[in-house]
Order: sequence, then structure tokens, then C-alpha cells
Amino acid sequence: MKKARNDQFFSNLEKFVNKVYPNQPQRQPYLSLKSWPSPRDEAWKFSRLGKLARKNILPLNLENQQDFSINKLIKDSISLVFVNGKFEKKLSDKLLSEIVIEEVQIEDFKDIIKKFDNLSVKNHPTLNSTLSCSQKFFKIKFKNDIKFYKPIEIFNLGGSENTSIHPFIFIDLEKNADAQVFQHYSTYAGLLAPFEIINLSENSNLEIIKIYDDKINSHNLSLTLSVIKEEANLRSFALIKGGEFTRSEMHTLLEGEYSNADINGIYLSSGNQHHDLTSCVYHNVPNCKSSQIVKGVLGEESTAVFQGKVRVEKLAQKTEAKQMSRAIMLSDKAVSNSKPELEIYADDVICGHGATVGELDEDQIFYLSSRGISKQKSKVILIDAFLNEMISLSISDKFHDIIYNETKTKINKLLANEYE
Amino acid sequence: MPILEIKNAELSIDNKKILKGLSLSVNEGETHAIMGPNGSGKSTLSYMLAGRDGYELDNGSITFDNIDLTLLSPDERSNLGLFLAFQYPVELPGVSSTNFLREIFNSRKKYLGENELSHLDFIKYLRKVAENLSIKDEMLKRYVNFGFSGGEKKRFEILQMALLNPKISVLDETDSGLDVDALKIVSEGVNNLKDKKNAVVVITHYQRLLDYIKPDIVHIMSDGKIIKSGDADLALYVEKNGYSEILNEKS
Ligand SMILES: Nc1ncnc2c1ncn2[C@@H]1O[C@H](COP(=O)(O)OP(=O)(O)OP(=O)(O)O)[C@@H](O)[C@H]1O
Ligand SMILES: [Mg+2]
Repeated sequence: MKKARNDQFFSNLEKFVNKVYPNQPQRQPYLSLKSWPSPRDEAWKFSRLGKLARKNILPLNLENQQDFSINKLIKDSISLVFVNGKFEKKLSDKLLSEIVIEEVQIEDFKDIIKKFDNLSVKNHPTLNSTLSCSQKFFKIKFKNDIKFYKPIEIFNLGGSENTSIHPFIFIDLEKNADAQVFQHYSTYAGLLAPFEIINLSENSNLEIIKIYDDKINSHNLSLTLSVIKEEANLRSFALIKGGEFTRSEMHTLLEGEYSNADINGIYLSSGNQHHDLTSCVYHNVPNCKSSQIVKGVLGEESTAVFQGKVRVEKLAQKTEAKQMSRAIMLSDKAVSNSKPELEIYADDVICGHGATVGELDEDQIFYLSSRGISKQKSKVILIDAFLNEMISLSISDKFHDIIYNETKTKINKLLANEYE
Repeated sequence: MPILEIKNAELSIDNKKILKGLSLSVNEGETHAIMGPNGSGKSTLSYMLAGRDGYELDNGSITFDNIDLTLLSPDERSNLGLFLAFQYPVELPGVSSTNFLREIFNSRKKYLGENELSHLDFIKYLRKVAENLSIKDEMLKRYVNFGFSGGEKKRFEILQMALLNPKISVLDETDSGLDVDALKIVSEGVNNLKDKKNAVVVITHYQRLLDYIKPDIVHIMSDGKIIKSGDADLALYVEKNGYSEILNEKS
């Protein structure tokens, strides 16, 4: 078979859109991207898409014929299920009256996208492909003053080799609303291009936990754009452990004073996996805080990258922006890259950043072993400690054990492989 | 009967000979003290016994309860009943002290074929042992050695010794960093654990510890060897006159 060209997917996409949505001109602007980003593109230097580009990928337009079951992490949560990028009402729980799920049009969120006026957003393959070919655009709205204590769990399922799926979700919190959302990425194979928009109105709070656990043949190019208004608070945590290639990219705009964004994450990489946490926080107004803290554990021949950017506009005095990355290497064949970027135009700003990469500490392992704990168990204890600190810092206490357990199986696997 | 028998141990680090033919024999029920100038190899000896990576023998032998110790990993040595109180205990940020203590306590119990304690029973037991060493509950809630004062770290080492109930304990300068009251408490802790079946080796620079933990035999170590052994009076002599005469005598 002939190898696909770098623009194959995008010409497939164009044909698909013109055939399936011939009378929807609003989709056309997003067909302007004609090829995959190349490694010369600064934003994709450490996360190369060559392997994806060589595939002949077609947007998936199949009705769901398989049965899917979901595993909720939280007993009393409300599930929303997307199969092959399509919302499946039958598989989802009933919503309560405090929240609304409705279909929206590109027109309804176009202004939000326009706020991110830079090339890494505009030329992002997920933004372009998902806005041009996603079947429907859904919004979950949390109404004014709602303190919503049942978490929402969104499941992204489906996928098959050489096809792409395009879930879209717009999470909209009205004033004073509080919400907790889990995003599960558990697709089977192929390309997953989930696009998410988050809008936090004045004094609202969102905690969002994303668990990237796609099967080993999947490419996940997740993109999230968030806008945060006055005194609102975004707490985002990504746990990346699955897929062949997973990039979680988040652009966060602090647009109202006294707002806060924590964009933290953990990646656990094994085999030949490539994991990427890319985050950009834009401080446009004074008196806001942000953190981008990432920890990773890498084994075997895996690779990972953390790209963290903070941009502080001239107006944004009294900004506090924290950035840190730490990686533990369990194998000398694994590679971890870290690219911090600070662009600061204001003068009254506190910015901290640091990056470390290293093996587990030999002195600590010896200390534990000298107390009768096996070397392997000692490593488990030290990695647990490393991740636990991060989990306690990043997410609500009530989810702590759940997320910790989600790391557990992967850590055991990483260490088991090391001892083979 | 000797619990521990070191014969002609030679050991180098980075191709530099540190131990140069060291022999030491410790019997059940005995307390030994090892003194000697800085850099004479005392901590090296303790790491060699505990089985640290890079501290393998070039020559000589070590047996513990008639088992060749050199073939065993650090955790196996610990399970057999060898304990080292570190001169510089290692901080473990993120590892809760209580969980750590329970883990080591239960793994020793398991090895001995005894019943592990439930979480609650262990906490009760731990409180009692900690109290005897004047260790506050608050300290056990913190991470292992993390942000502990010098004295707190040393007390925490002895707490671990008490929980593991080892056959032979090597205490490397456990007295340094302790105030007078703590020195007394820690020494009493060690003495309470002492019986006819186990043995203690204390490494120290100061006689004041030996006022509390009375040694049967005192060894003077210099340049990687034990150059003189004697009874408790030898320590008093060193305290008064320093090492120079003993060292000169040798050369
Ligand atoms: N990792 C190492 N690399 C090189 N030399 C080392 C290393 N560790 C120890 N040494 C050397 O070995 C010698 C013995 O050190 P050791 O720590 O055993 O002495 P000590 O008797 O315990 O001293 P102190 O009374 O100061 O605690 C010293 O000369 C020291 O510099
Ligand atoms: Mg020493």
C-alpha cells in the first residue's frame, strides 16, 4: 500500500465535510488547515506527529453498533457517554434540573475561540478537524448559584484503527456555580481529537479531572480552551497513562481579576508511549494566580514532554504564577523533555519555575531496604510518596484515593517491567 | 557464641582502601563500643554490615548467626535481625512516618512468622513505644525524618530499633546531636531492649554515652583497622588522653 501523504487526513476531512454537511458554511473556515504540524513548528518540536501523518485516517461516521459499558469512579456521579464522538443519551444518566445539556452552534462559542489569537491554537489539528466535522456540539450548563455536589463523569469511548473521532463539549458555569467534572478518555484505537471549551463566569468554581487511559493503539490530541472571569477558580488535573501518543494541551485565559487557575498533572509512561502536557496560561488582568505543576514517572523506552508557558500582560500587575516539573526516570532509555517559557511584560510579578529530572534516590532506597523492605517495594513507596504529594496538592480530598488508585496499577506495571 | 564475626575485612571505595583488614567478634549478650578518629572507617564498617551498594568486601568474611552475610541484600540482613541506626538518617518526603513504621514492623513480623498487627493495634503499640522514647504523636504524623531536628532523627532511629527488635544493633553516633535529657532517654531505650540473646555495637566519640550504655569491650579503630581492644576503662583513657599515644604505640 502506498504511504499516505502529510495532507492525506486533511483532504479526507475536506471531502467528508463537503459531502456530509454541504449546507453548513460555518464549518468551512476550519478546513483551512491542510497538513499536520511539522517538527519545525516550535509547538510540536518534542511531540512529532510523523507516525500519525503516515496513516490514511478517515473521519468516522458510523452509528454505534457495539455495546459499551462504563466504569464509574464515583458511585453517585452522573454519567455522560460519548461513543465515537457522538453523545449517547441511552447510555448516559438522566440529568437533574440544575444542569442542562443542549445542542449549540459554532456561532455560540466562536467569540470564546477568538480570544485565543495565536498560531498554536489557530493551527491546532483538533480545533480545525473537530469544528469542521463533529456531528453535534454540546454544551453542559450549570445554572446560576448552583452548588452541584454530584460529580459529572464524561466518558469518551469507541474508536477504531485508521479512523478519527471528534467529541466536542462546552462546559459553561454561570455566576456562583460550583461543579466537578471527570473526563475519561478510554478509546480503543485510531485518532481521538477531543475539543473542550470551558467558560467560568464570575465567582464560579470548576474542578476538572481528566484521565487519559486510551488503549495502546490510540493517538489522543486533546485541546482545551478555558476563559476565567472575576474571582472564578479553575482546578484542572490531568492524569496521563494510556495511548501510544497522548497530548493534553490547555490554554487558559485569566480574564477577570482575583481569578485562579491550577493546571496540574501527572504522566506515567511505559513501553514506547509518548506523553505530552502542554499548557499556556495568559494573565491578562491584575491580581490573579496560576500554577502549572507536573510530575512524571517514565519507564522503558517511553518519552514525555512538559511545555509550560506563562504570559503576563503589561496590565497584569500582582500576578503570581508558579511552574514546576519533576520527572523520575526508571530506565536510561526513557527521555523526558521540559520546556518552560515565561513571557512577562508586567513588573510587579512573582513567578517561580523549576525543572528536575532524575532517578530515584539511592540513599532513600538503601534506607528503606535497611529496614527490611525489598528494593522493589522501596521503589513503590518512594514513587507513591512522589505522586501522593502531587495528588494532595492538586485535587479535592474526597477524590484523593480514587485518583491514587488510578495511578497504582500503572506504577506496579512500570516497576514489574523494570524487573523482567 | 559469636553472633557476628568479621574476619580480615578489606574494602575500598572508588579504588581507595578504606578498611584494611578489620576483625571483630561479637557474642550474644555483649555490648561493644567502637571509638576512633574521624575518617578511620567507622561508618564505612556500618554500611558494609548493612549491605549498602558499593560496600562489598575485597577480602575477608562476615558471618552473622553462622550465615555468610556478604551474600544477602540489605533487606534480607534486616529481616535476619541486623539493625543499623544511621549517623545521618535519610529524609523521605511524602512517606508518612506512621505508615512507614507499620510497614517495617509488619514485614519483620511476617519474616519471624508472627502475627501482623491490625492498624488499630499497631497504633496503640506504637504510641506506647514512642512514649517511652518521649516521641510526640505530632512527630509521627510528619514525613519520615523530614524536617526533624538532629535529636529527633536520632530518637526516631531508636524507635525503629525498638519496633524491629533486632539481634544485633549497630548505632552509629546515635549520641551526637542529643541534648543531655535526650541522651538519657535514648540510652535507657537501648538498655531496655538489651537481653542475653542480642548484642549492641555503639560507635561513638564520647565517653558520656558509655556512662549510660556500659560496654563490655571497647575497640579503638584507626586507618581501617581495630588497633586496640580493652574493657570500659579504655574509653575513659581515650577521653582523658586522646588517641595519640595509642596510635604512636602502634606505629
Ligand atoms: N563515597 C566515598 N568516596 C570516597 N571516599 C569515601 C567515601 N565514603 C567515605 N570515604 C572515605 O572513607 C574514610 C572513612 O570514612 P567514614 O565515614 O567511614 O569515617 P568515620 O570513622 O565514620 O568518621 P566520622 O567519625 O567522621 O564519622 C574517609 O576518609 C572518607 O573520606
Ligand atoms: Mg562516621
